[in-house]
Amino acid sequence: MNLDWTVAWQYRFMLAEGVLVTVLLTVFTMAIAVPGGIVVMLARQSRFAPLRMAGTAYVEFFRNLPLILLVYWAFYVLPMIVDIQLSPFATGLVALCLNVSAYNAETFRAGVNSIRRGQHNAGLALGMSQWQVMGRIVLPQAVRRILPVLASTWVSLFKDTSLVSVIAVGDLAHNALQIRSQTFRVLEMLTVMAAIYWCLGYPQAKLVDWMHRRFGVSE
Amino acid sequence: MTAYARIGAGTQPVIVYHEVVKRYGSFTALDRVSGQVNRGEVVCLIGPSGSGKSTLLRCTNALEPFDGGRVLFDGVELPRAESEARHVRRRMGMVFQNFELFPHMTALDNVAVGRVTVLGEAKAAARKRARSLLAKVGLSDKEASYPATLSGGQQQRVAIARALAMDPEVMLFDEPTSALDPETIGEVLNVMKQLADEGMTMVVVTHEMTFARRVGNWIIVFDHGRIVEEGPPAQIFDRPREQRTKDFFSHLGWGG
Ligand SMILES: Nc1ncnc2c1ncn2[C@@H]1O[C@H](COP(=O)(O)OP(=O)(O)O)[C@@H](O)[C@H]1O
Ligand SMILES: [Mg+2]
Repeated sequence: MNLDWTVAWQYRFMLAEGVLVTVLLTVFTMAIAVPGGIVVMLARQSRFAPLRMAGTAYVEFFRNLPLILLVYWAFYVLPMIVDIQLSPFATGLVALCLNVSAYNAETFRAGVNSIRRGQHNAGLALGMSQWQVMGRIVLPQAVRRILPVLASTWVSLFKDTSLVSVIAVGDLAHNALQIRSQTFRVLEMLTVMAAIYWCLGYPQAKLVDWMHRRFGVSE
Repeated sequence: MTAYARIGAGTQPVIVYHEVVKRYGSFTALDRVSGQVNRGEVVCLIGPSGSGKSTLLRCTNALEPFDGGRVLFDGVELPRAESEARHVRRRMGMVFQNFELFPHMTALDNVAVGRVTVLGEAKAAARKRARSLLAKVGLSDKEASYPATLSGGQQQRVAIARALAMDPEVMLFDEPTSALDPETIGEVLNVMKQLADEGMTMVVVTHEMTFARRVGNWIIVFDHGRIVEEGPPAQIFDRPREQRTKDFFSHLGWGG
């Protein structure tokens, strides 16, 4: 078999660009989906029933759809509903945020529920409002507890961003597959792509393991 | 009828309970409880566990909504709306059986956070106040410690300082020493005694009969969500009238 590994070097800028887009997608998605998850979680805990139902519906809907379907949906259907043409990057970002926010909402809910009722009462007894109790007492403790779970979500997300390649977002997967179809170097490009994902993903996974050990079993 | 001059008698009571009813489903936790707490009094609530003492305390500062009757604080009926309840709660301090210190804050910030968050006081001023309160409960050297590194008795003293930081008009204690190792109970009771000597109005749920007898001015005996009898310590402990009070004391191994 005739292997030519120099294609990876030849196309290094395209690959680097892909890595950058993958990282940016991951960072932006998490930057939006963490506050997004908190908002959805708060909606689900609201005393206002319609808001509560909307929050639950959101979570149950987006958590149970395959991500790739969301990506296609955001690409083909969303522009028909809201009359704006988003870039492929923004479209992919929307799909990822819808999905990850739903997951994060559940994570935050579990974290908040794990804080004893007595902590809540201690805040209220000082005269704090429900919001102050949430912001000063419950959330800071909950976040510490769920940090390892959020980190795991991050690592999955990093790999799952590859799904947006189907709508021509120039992420690592998309660019690598582009190079493959231009050069017909299938084995080389798939191997290189795997190597890059692995080299970036492995340290993150190790970091998560460390966080699980460090923060996982507190109290 | 009463042969004893109750402290604060004749002045407006700090707290009045009027036929308070609390139900959990079909279970009646408080069954038409009436009574009062006068200014400067140390009222001790005693009785078997499950008799409704904690429930009454939580109804006192509106942490628990109740189903019937009225609670008056400083002559004004407790508001039903949560948004108004907080204005009443900040005038009452509460100390819990399990301390409930905020584990992500230092001892100093535990004491200061109420003034900063609720009163909107500047952080520096709140901390200054917190410092003097930690000194008052004998914990000046623990300002920077996190709750997890403190003993139970130290944690409970921080919790008392935290409640005092809001300059409450009354302090509510729910079994403040029940979760403590025997050797640290004394340090907490001493702080409470000191507060009582300073004239603080206190409602104390306790199983510490020695404390109730020595520090309490008025004893209320609870059973099955009702007040069995009430009176000054000398009467309740030496000459209880009700059989259920006597049963409770003999169950505790206390006197006759
Ligand atoms: N949130 C609740 N739901 C149902 N029952 C409760 C709840 N809180 C307290 N109770 C019941 O009410 C009764 C009185 O409880 P409590 O006030 O805690 O008693 P005490 O403090 O005197 O030990 C108990 O029988 C308890 O099981
Ligand atoms: Mg109790």
